[in-house]
Amino acid sequence: MSKKKILLWALLAVGLTGAAVGYMIWNKPHKDVKDADALRVAATELYNRFSTDSAKARSLYTDKILEISGEISKLSVNLQNQQIILLKTPVTGAYVNCTMEEKAEGLKEGAPVLIKGICSGYMGGDADMGLPGDVFIVRGYPSNK
Amino acid sequence: MKKIKALVFLLFVFCLGGKAQLYFTKNGSVSFFSSTPMEDIRAGNNQVISILNTGSGEIQFSLLNNAFHFKKALMEEHFNEEYIESAQYPKSTFKGTISNLKEVNFSKDGIYNITVSGSLNLHGVTKSISVPGKLTVKGNSLSASSVFKIRTKDYNIKIPAAVKNNIAETVELTVNCSYEKK
Repeated sequence: MSKKKILLWALLAVGLTGAAVGYMIWNKPHKDVKDADALRVAATELYNRFSTDSAKARSLYTDKILEISGEISKLSVNLQNQQIILLKTPVTGAYVNCTMEEKAEGLKEGAPVLIKGICSGYMGGDADMGLPGDVFIVRGYPSNK
Repeated sequence: MKKIKALVFLLFVFCLGGKAQLYFTKNGSVSFFSSTPMEDIRAGNNQVISILNTGSGEIQFSLLNNAFHFKKALMEEHFNEEYIESAQYPKSTFKGTISNLKEVNFSKDGIYNITVSGSLNLHGVTKSISVPGKLTVKGNSLSASSVFKIRTKDYNIKIPAAVKNNIAETVELTVNCSYEKK
């Protein structure tokens, strides 16, 4: 094989590898929340941490996969028909607000639950209107551990 | 006599205030849509806090920028790290009032066209905007929706030259909230 042909094949191989890597990066999947290792925390503690030292809580929890234990205050669905599970906190009207990617079956208000999901952070309501904020969890899954 | 007048005035104000009703949601939805010949990009955030005061017409929305979910993980990463810079600007907010509140009859079922004017804070930039919307009264339930466009450069969101053909300069925002009584 001539040197020219070897060079052409090498260039083609490099080009194809580059295209394959680019395609894989472009289409890389989202974090596997369901089977990922998670930081365990109780809903009450999570809420208290955000209420007392939000900067520290942000660095500890925001964008992290958490496994949250808590008591179900309310079950509902959002406008996209995703299940919403509100976990009780020490503050009346304030919740750990979980939007589920996979519906948890057999839940009852007042019962304990374990949810795995990504913490978006804390968002305040409106103090003047007496509406406390929530800690938000996205991409929630029921956890069986 | 002055005391009686003052008392009557206070009672009048109190009674008027009693008509005001607060509605809220913590699971409203905001989505955006960018369309170019190269590609369409959509993302949604279903954790929007919104409060509506039917007495004064005040309406507010707030959301965490990192709660937007994209179809592609890489787009979500770029959105948070390069465009909206979620670590530096974690929240987006809108505070405004319904300009034509008198045209809405909260005790009569219907779909009312409204105009909402106020301040949109996005990516650390606050701009006055006025957008159209619809307020739906059905029994005891109340919902609001709006579709409007914003220009990314108005909010100092820099799109790198390499992806300029993939991301539109003007993106469409869709807001949907279903409220419950406070």
